[in-house]
Order: sequence, then structure tokens, then C-alpha cells
Amino acid sequence: MSKFRVILSEVECMNISILGASTTKFGELWSVSPRTLAKEAMTNALNASGLKASQIDALFVGNMLSGILGNQTNLGSLLVEELGIQIPAFRIEGACASGGLALHNAINSLKAHQYRVVLVLGIEKMTDHSQDEITNALMAAGSDEERMAGATFPGVYALMAQAYMQKYKAREEDLATVSVKNHYHGTFNPKAQFQFPVTIADVMKSSKIADPLKLLDCSPISDGAAAVVIANEENSKKVRKKVYIVASEVATDTLSLHDRKSLVSLSAVVEAASNAYKKAGIKPKDIDVAEIHDCFSISEAIAVEDLGFSEIGLGAKDIGRGKRTLFKGDIICNPSGGLKACGHPVGATGIKQIVEITEQLQGEAGKRQVEKAKIGLTHNVGGSGAVAAIHILRI
Amino acid sequence: MITSPVKLWRRQKSVSSLIGKRGKILLWTIIRVPAKSFVGEAPYPVVIVKVKNGENMIGQLVDWQKEDLRVGREVVCVLRRLSTEEKEAIIYYNIKFKPL
Amino acid sequence: MSGIVAYGTYIPKYRLRLSEIAQMWGKDSLEIEAGLKISEKAVPGFDEDAVTMGIEAGKKAIGMAEIDPSRLQSVYFGSESHPYAVKPSSTTVAQYLSVGNNYFTADLEFACKAGSAGMQVTFGLLNSRSIKYGLVIGSDAAQSKPHDALEYTAASSACAYILGNSKNEIIASILEMSSFSSDTPDFWRRDGAKYPSHFGRFTGEPAYFTHIIQEGKDLLAKSKLKPSDFAFCVFHMPNGKFPRVVAKKLGFSYEQLAASLIVDKIGNPYSASSLMGLASVLDIAKPKQKIFFVSYGSGAGSDGFIFETTEELAKLQKKTIPVLKQIEDKIYISYPEYLRHTHAI
Repeated sequence: MSKFRVILSEVECMNISILGASTTKFGELWSVSPRTLAKEAMTNALNASGLKASQIDALFVGNMLSGILGNQTNLGSLLVEELGIQIPAFRIEGACASGGLALHNAINSLKAHQYRVVLVLGIEKMTDHSQDEITNALMAAGSDEERMAGATFPGVYALMAQAYMQKYKAREEDLATVSVKNHYHGTFNPKAQFQFPVTIADVMKSSKIADPLKLLDCSPISDGAAAVVIANEENSKKVRKKVYIVASEVATDTLSLHDRKSLVSLSAVVEAASNAYKKAGIKPKDIDVAEIHDCFSISEAIAVEDLGFSEIGLGAKDIGRGKRTLFKGDIICNPSGGLKACGHPVGATGIKQIVEITEQLQGEAGKRQVEKAKIGLTHNVGGSGAVAAIHILRI
Repeated sequence: MITSPVKLWRRQKSVSSLIGKRGKILLWTIIRVPAKSFVGEAPYPVVIVKVKNGENMIGQLVDWQKEDLRVGREVVCVLRRLSTEEKEAIIYYNIKFKPL
Repeated sequence: MSGIVAYGTYIPKYRLRLSEIAQMWGKDSLEIEAGLKISEKAVPGFDEDAVTMGIEAGKKAIGMAEIDPSRLQSVYFGSESHPYAVKPSSTTVAQYLSVGNNYFTADLEFACKAGSAGMQVTFGLLNSRSIKYGLVIGSDAAQSKPHDALEYTAASSACAYILGNSKNEIIASILEMSSFSSDTPDFWRRDGAKYPSHFGRFTGEPAYFTHIIQEGKDLLAKSKLKPSDFAFCVFHMPNGKFPRVVAKKLGFSYEQLAASLIVDKIGNPYSASSLMGLASVLDIAKPKQKIFFVSYGSGAGSDGFIFETTEELAKLQKKTIPVLKQIEDKIYISYPEYLRHTHAI
């Protein structure tokens, strides 16, 4: 943890209310344009909040690839057109953590009393582009050295998987249990990209992408958007089953994997989570349900250790034993199906995670409901761990 | 991919100081689904190497055989050509690793 | 008095057996190998070119000389596979070898004798005391059209020499040099063409043999020496047969030629060919032995040198891995892999 950060008073407690939350279907949405995606998510979140667009003070957008793939930046101004009003609008980018970072910045604007009610949108449209272009574009999340080495995004995580397997004597099958769990959860999520189960054998048989990661170890290319309407408590009306964001923490680490102190742990996650738990006044075991950034199976194995859900070295094994599985375990991870089964439209993921936890805490999660969920956590990571955004929600 | 001649030129000093440096493989993977400009050479290994008296580096492993993909394998920094689809662009040279 | 101060050789790791090529095109492998006296050829990695190989060879020469590269005052890089049609390879090599900025330089092209031509230019600078040390490199990642006869011999390697005029550093002094050229269109590659063209048997008698033999005779006459005065002879090696024939025609024995015949194991690396043959001789030569050297470049011309080894050579031989040993560090590849490596597919 940085020695030079200003530590806020323990007494100060954050209470940002979520007034409305919604996500679109995730998947290969060929006939849906980015504007349509945005409009759908924003309109549904607004409707859920009972507010009109004219009551929103600002729009925060999380998106990674629109500039690289679509040659379109200035997204704030573009997407605010879909709201039909001219309000301050911002695009925040932090690779795959763009959604979480957009939310963090939106929260900061509320805490500063610059705005009273804001809309946060995460959005990504990937399927207009070829696999080649996308592989290239995702490498923008890493460093120059990684790009020139030809280390694709899966390649960097594959190196992490090698390190993890070496250090903790884990097997590829142990990592595969993450995909198995998340696909199982996906079968209960009507918005998920993949709603079919997979077995360990399926994962092991799937084609290699970057040894040891195989096709079914990797989250897919997806389109999708998710939006939340948030406000300071004093500005929010009475809403039945109101969910609060009680911690929003961001931390960074080196851009390149090879520059990190540890190759089997994301210190950005450890730091942000530690600060979040402190601000929320809770411990890891108090979390009932979490949405984890499983861009690859190895990511979730490492995440549950970094977040304190599992002991160091036992993340994959615990998942394999069902400890994080719906209806079976305690701290349930990725009831939505995670990035693997629900899909990973990069910039949308961080907000979709918030939507999922909100629905879980409100008891509105349908077939994938975690019993008596009171406290939830979202874990959103950019690149191979260069930035992490952790949010804690309670009802 | 990177095609700016200015960037190539700016990196010359640091790259030339690395040629001939030795190190050991810390981690390896094989890239099987490459980015566009690497299609011609895939599959190829990417390794993280601990350079002697230096930091960690990441790079492609060249002139390799299966037995070379192991933790602790000694390698040396060599200068190799980065592939590019563009027939008219400047040629990029970069450090790669070769098993000793 | 000028001469060779150090040398370095680089052979890429990959080998293609001639039998694989013959099999591809339905030819009799044994007949071809017997005729060419080559069994396999050196193939560059996908990401190697004349410049990267030249840098490897240059680095070895600098290592052998134990010289600060900034003391090199000329860099001449000879190749027929320069990466650019316009942009010097020499400066790229000089930059990555940390030569600095104060050096005479140019890229040279003269088919397979670009490297030896570089040596003659450098000896000119040394003899006039314009420089103290010069670097010469002959390097090629030779291209040949699939199914063409050249496919069996066109190979890749690099060879570097540091030349100087400081008596106690010289390992082989140069006693004599001369050159014989004419405009003979035996082998050529048009600007923009990927592969070279040649005129079959015309490359033999009127081209290779005429120029080497005439230059050889001129060199012997100039030096007033006889073939028997030499311990070794080195000739350009387009295949295994031609140097054996020309040695005999000039009056040299197979024993004098044998040490230079790197072609048998790696094929013809064009600008590096005769230079590597010379390096192979220097690996095993004793002090005070004379070496007869005549290169050949299509188009056409031959550069001749007479070298004499010194006591210094014995010390430096300890600092290098012999070329014949370096050649043994290899991985065999298949014909399709060879096409990939040479960017044909």
C-alpha cells in the first residue's frame, strides 16, 4: 500500500444509492448498433429508477476500444445524444476496468457535490471487427515490450497461469473448474452469452490459445452495455430495497507483467480490496456474493486469493471443490456466469457486475439468486493487473 | 503494429546495449492465436527472462526446440527482425531470446 | 603492413537436407548431391536477415579482437540481400555494434564477392594510413526460386573481419591483392524481383572459371610465387564441385583446399562464402603459412589476396569456436518449413 496516500478518516462512511440498474443481453449482437445498445441500457436503468433523463446531471461512460476499433472517440458527447439532453459527459478508460473506473469517477463527482444524480454506462461493441483486429486491439491493454514480444492478451495471462501452476502445483484441470462453474451459473442467466454447461473434459479438449490456456479458459468476444443511476443518499428518493455502494477503491500496479513483484498475485487488487474492506468496515468472509473479473480461468483462481476468499495457493482448488458455486458454497463468485459465460464486452463488464450484485442484494436474481445476500463485491481489472477497481455494495 | 521510424531510432541505444546479454527463462508460453503481424511465425514461444544482473524482460524465444521450454533454461539476447505485413514500412529490429 | 586482426562467423541454426528438396520436385537426390557435393544447406530463421546475421558475426569479431567498437573507423557491408534497396545496412550494423559516428562506410553489392571487395577498399584505407581499424562483413540470406537449380545451393550466413595496420595485432598479413573484372551477365536479379535469374551453364566456363583462373594466374605472377608455396587455398564455393575443379586447374592439391570447403555442410552463403572458407582455414592454420584466396562474384569479377599467418594467430584461435564446429549446431527442418522461413508462403 502506498505510503503517501492520504488516509481518510475511518468515521467517514460512503453511502451512494443505486436508484436504477440494467444490463442488455450480452453476446454477438450483429444487428444492434453501439448507439442502440447504449440507449437500451440507459433507458432501462432510468425506468427502473423512476427518473427522467432531464433529472440526470452527468453521464460517465466506460469503454476501451471505440477509438482503436471504430476510430471513434469523444464518446461522452456521442452517447449523451442517446439520452436526448445535453449534460456533462465523460469517457473513462482503463482497459477492461473502464466500467469500474467510470463508476469510481462518477462516485467521486457525487462525493464532491459537483453533481447530484448521475448515470454510469459501460459499453463495448466488438463483433463489428475481425478476430485479428480484436486480438491486436486488446494488446493495447499491455505494454510496448509485451506487444513487440508478440505477447497477446491471452499470452500474458498464460504466463501467469504457468507461474501459478508451478508455484502451487496446480493442474490445468484445476483452472478448468472456473469455466465449469461459470458456465453452470450462466445456464440460469437469460442475459448471458452462453447458457449451456461445460465439463472439465470439454475445457481440456478445447483448442490451445496460449499454453496452457485453451479456448474454454478464455472469455469470449462480446457486445453489450450496462447502466446504473446513482445519487448521494440525501438526493435519492425513497426506494424499496435500495442498494448502497459503501466502498469504491482503485489501485494500480506496473503495466507489464514482468515488472511486477509477484507473478501470481495482483497487488492492485490486494491494495484496492484492502482499502475497500476497511472503508466498508467488513472482512472478506462477510461477502455473500461477488462478481469476479474472470477474463481467463486463471484470473478467478488468483482473484479469490487476492480478495481473501481463499488461502494463498488454494484458489483454484477451492473453486474445484464447489466453495464458490451457487447453491453449494459460501462466498458465491460470478452468479451471472462471469466474463466467461455471461460474456465480456470489455467496457461494459464493470457496470454489469454492479447490476448483477444489485439484483442479487434486492432478491431479484431469479434462478441464480444467492440466498440471503446482504453484502456484495465487484472486482474489475484492467490489462494483466495494471489497474483494479473494487466496489462493495450492501442492502 | 509499431511502424514509426522515429521510435525505432529512439530505441537504438538501449537495444544495442542488450545484445549478447545472458539470462534464464522464468516463465514460458506458446502463442498459438497470434496478432495480425505475427501470423507468419505462429506458433512461437514468448518467455519472461531474468537477465543477469538486471531486471526481467519479456520476448520471443527463437531457434528453439521443445526441450528449451523449461524454467531455468539459459538464453542470450539477440537482435532479430520484427515481421510486418507492410511492404513499404521501415524494418523493425528488436531483442529476442535464443537458447544457449 | 596491413592484415587481418580478428574474424567472426555466424551460421543460422536451421538446415534443409538436399534430399528434401529433391523429393519435393521428384528428382534423384543421390545424383544431385553427388554432382554438387553438398548434402544440406543453412536456412535463416523467419526473423533473420543479412543485417541481423551480420551483427552476430561482427559481434564475434569484436569479441575476438577485444577491441572497443568505437575504434573501428570503417564499416563496409557486402550483400546481395540487403534488407532495403535504399537505406544502408552498414549503418544499422554499425549502430547496433556501437561503432559510434566517425567511420567511413557504404553498402556494397557485387553478387558473391561484395565482402572481398569490402576488404580491398578497407586495405586501401589502411595502407594509406587513413584508418587504424576497419570492419568488413559479407552476409547473405540468399533467395532462390522454388524448383530452380539454385534452390539446392543458395544458403545463408555471415562472416566478419576486422582489418588493421598495427603489426603486433595482425594474425594474417596481406602480402598481395589484385582484382579481375568484366561485364559478364551470368547471374543477376532485377530491382524489385524476389528471386535471382541465371543462365545455366554460362555461369561455369565463361564466368566462374574464367575470372578465378585469370585472377589466380595474375596473382601468382604478381607475387612471383608458385602453388606449392602455399599451405592453403580458398576459392568461392557456389557448390562443392567448382572450387575442387578450379583448385586443380590452378595447380593446387585437394589437401591445400580441404580446410576451406564449408560449402559441403552449409551450401553457398553468397557474400559470406569465400570469407567463411578463409575463416575456416584461419581456425586451424599455423604461424607463417601462406594462404591463396580468390573470390568470385557474378556479373562478374574475382578478388585475389595472398595472406601470411603470424604468431599472433595461435593466441586468437583459442578465442573462437571453429567454423566447422559452429556448423554442427543445427536443427533440421522440412521443405514446407523452409518455405515459411524464407517467406515464400
